[in-house]
Amino acid sequence: MVAHLLRLKLLLLRNLFRRSRAQTIGIIAGIVYFSFAVVGVAVLLGSLRTSLDDARVIIPLVGAGTILLWTIVPLFTFGSDPTLDPARFATFAVPTRDLAVGLALSALIGLPAIATCVIMAGVFVAWTVTPGSAVAGLVCVVVGVLTAVTTSRWVSARATGALQSRRGRDALAIAGLVLLLVAGPLVAFVASSGADAKGAAGMLSDVIAWTPLGWVWAAPTDIAAGDTTTGLLRLLLGVLTLVVVGRLWAGAVSDQVENPRAVARSDAGVAADGDLGLFARTADTAGGAVAGRVLTSYRRDPRFQVALITTPLVPLLLLVPFVVGDVLWAPLLMGPLVAFLLGFGEHNAVAYDSDAVWLHLVTATPGVADRRGRLVASALLALLLVPAYTLVGAGLGGRLDLLGGLLGLSVALLGAGYGLSSVMNVVLPYPVPESGESPFASPPGAAGATLLAQTVASIGTTVIAAPVLLLAWLGWQGQVWAVWATAVLGLALGVAAALVGIRIGGRLFESRGPELLAALRRT
Amino acid sequence: MNDPGVLADLPAPQGVPTDGPAIAIRALGKRFGDLIAVKGIDLDVPRGSFFGLVGPNGAGKTTTLSMVTGLLRPDHGKAFVLGRDVWADPVAAKRLLGVLPDGLKLFDRLTGLQLITYAGLLHGMSRDLATSRASELIAALGLSEAQGKLVVDYSAGMTKKATLACALVHAPRVLVLDEPFEAVDPISAATIRRILEDYVAAGGTVVLSSHVMDLVQRLCSHVAVIADGQVLAVGQTDDVRGGRSLEERFVELVGGSTEVEGLSWLRTSSD
Repeated sequence: MVAHLLRLKLLLLRNLFRRSRAQTIGIIAGIVYFSFAVVGVAVLLGSLRTSLDDARVIIPLVGAGTILLWTIVPLFTFGSDPTLDPARFATFAVPTRDLAVGLALSALIGLPAIATCVIMAGVFVAWTVTPGSAVAGLVCVVVGVLTAVTTSRWVSARATGALQSRRGRDALAIAGLVLLLVAGPLVAFVASSGADAKGAAGMLSDVIAWTPLGWVWAAPTDIAAGDTTTGLLRLLLGVLTLVVVGRLWAGAVSDQVENPRAVARSDAGVAADGDLGLFARTADTAGGAVAGRVLTSYRRDPRFQVALITTPLVPLLLLVPFVVGDVLWAPLLMGPLVAFLLGFGEHNAVAYDSDAVWLHLVTATPGVADRRGRLVASALLALLLVPAYTLVGAGLGGRLDLLGGLLGLSVALLGAGYGLSSVMNVVLPYPVPESGESPFASPPGAAGATLLAQTVASIGTTVIAAPVLLLAWLGWQGQVWAVWATAVLGLALGVAAALVGIRIGGRLFESRGPELLAALRRT
Repeated sequence: MNDPGVLADLPAPQGVPTDGPAIAIRALGKRFGDLIAVKGIDLDVPRGSFFGLVGPNGAGKTTTLSMVTGLLRPDHGKAFVLGRDVWADPVAAKRLLGVLPDGLKLFDRLTGLQLITYAGLLHGMSRDLATSRASELIAALGLSEAQGKLVVDYSAGMTKKATLACALVHAPRVLVLDEPFEAVDPISAATIRRILEDYVAAGGTVVLSSHVMDLVQRLCSHVAVIADGQVLAVGQTDDVRGGRSLEERFVELVGGSTEVEGLSWLRTSSD
């Protein structure tokens, strides 16, 4: 049975290369790229062999990090690898024990596991100081990797159980978003306290070495340093950890197999009877209806909330060089950057509807109304953010004299983005996570199309706004007339680009509706 | 199938014809790569008929209906709704059509009431009219309890009913329904059936596709059997089945064998 599961997983891995040629090339390019990184890390770790003190600090951190990554990642990619979901095997008469062992081992077949093993080979090399530490190192690497993989399976199995409900999934998506937002500043904070980083890392490593995350990663170093008692104690504790995790995983497997559909359905409605929600407040037209629906999505769909929360935060990153490096011109770009992001953000808007867009087709929704309605939510955000960030940025940078030019530039970028997006999201939609999937999941085989569309959207927006960018640069160089020219031309160009784009996009939406639907069904 | 004469007996696409078929399909064809899914179909759906489209899986039912409703561009031929060319004059044709497609998603983060109102608004109706009709449809289809719930939390049957409401909200003259009874419980099916029968009695035309021969035989005044992208038989249901059950006639036309070979080990009469 275990052999069957392993063979199944191998087959799936091989089928990865059996898709279209373009996708295969993309996958292979990705593998080559990451192989260099992984092998580099492994070599670096292997070189710790000559320095026991560094090994004592770094290896527990790397090991604990590996286990943590294996634990956290399945929370955000749930459902991405259903072949390893125990509930799928509920209808087959497989002994639970075989299933638990087989599924855990088959998780070892796959690109992430191979990368982990390569890195751990480097760790093993670092431990080949004495014969004793080499033997302990081999045991520890194997136990460590198995612990990571088994924990990952356990978390994933429990998560799938909890996340079968829509509410659970949405909650997790929001939690992930918060984590993402906290992680950035945290890393920046740690990096900025650079001087004492080494001491802090040493302390952290010492603590980790006495937790379940670090036992196995510290034991061989102890033995190499001659502290055999501590080493063996940690090794024993590490093996016990693996046994405990294994038990937990087996328990999860038997729960899932015996009761695969133990899911509470939430029955609560979200609106009172007769309550139209936002539809009662938008304009009484087809365009208004589209706007109402998109605004409702911002309220209820995690995929939109991710964009809603991250877009205003990205320009704040410009404050880092301003605060840390006294780069005075950096905050000046806050307004134009948020305008660019908002315009660019609409370039794949229709793909989020997936094939539900059939309703727009059969109702013969006017293309211009569809285009306009989709932009309303983003435009409302722009109305708030662009003036605020432009003003704050100009104030912080001490260049309030450039305010007019900055506003003109922002409007030009926003309008160019809206215009181009209104055409692009009809002509070049690319796959995004489906409604209800994790907003962080990446649909398989979409990397090429995503890269292409995003490149076209960003370069295209810049090219359309190029005259205004040029004028703005002249204004920055001290040409006062250029500042006002930027303001006037920026406003005109932004509005014109948006209007023309909406008109062309609207016509394309009407004429290419069936092709759009077919593209969205495939994606 | 390329005979140009087939269009001759059609009423002129412009103007408002008072008779002529509700839906006219002329030499409609579609290929996907090497597969020819629909091989130049000619079909007339009479006004006021309850028209059933039956055929085995992969026969081209959904492809045909998608081309009639403007969801899939035909490679060949034309489709008319009450004389309006679906592909040359889509806005006029779509105003007359109510569509329930099969296997397409909905805007599932809306509540049921919002979704149906949304469909009405997209048709250009005023909010008051769209809302009052949406509320009436929700009551008629037995969705009152669930009107404030998100469509994503609906069961398959409730989703079908909500989609049907979207198709009805603008009072279309012709309804095109792809598998309207799939995954629908018997009570809901009876409700839907009554609504459709009333609709036909009031002069509307319904075209539906189905696998369930019994249902089509009971419900439909006319039937077309299609298989392998071609029409094998068409006409009044009683004429097509010729005294036998529609299912028997269907199996005979499509030519599959229902004899089961092998599987002797499955007949465990001993215990």
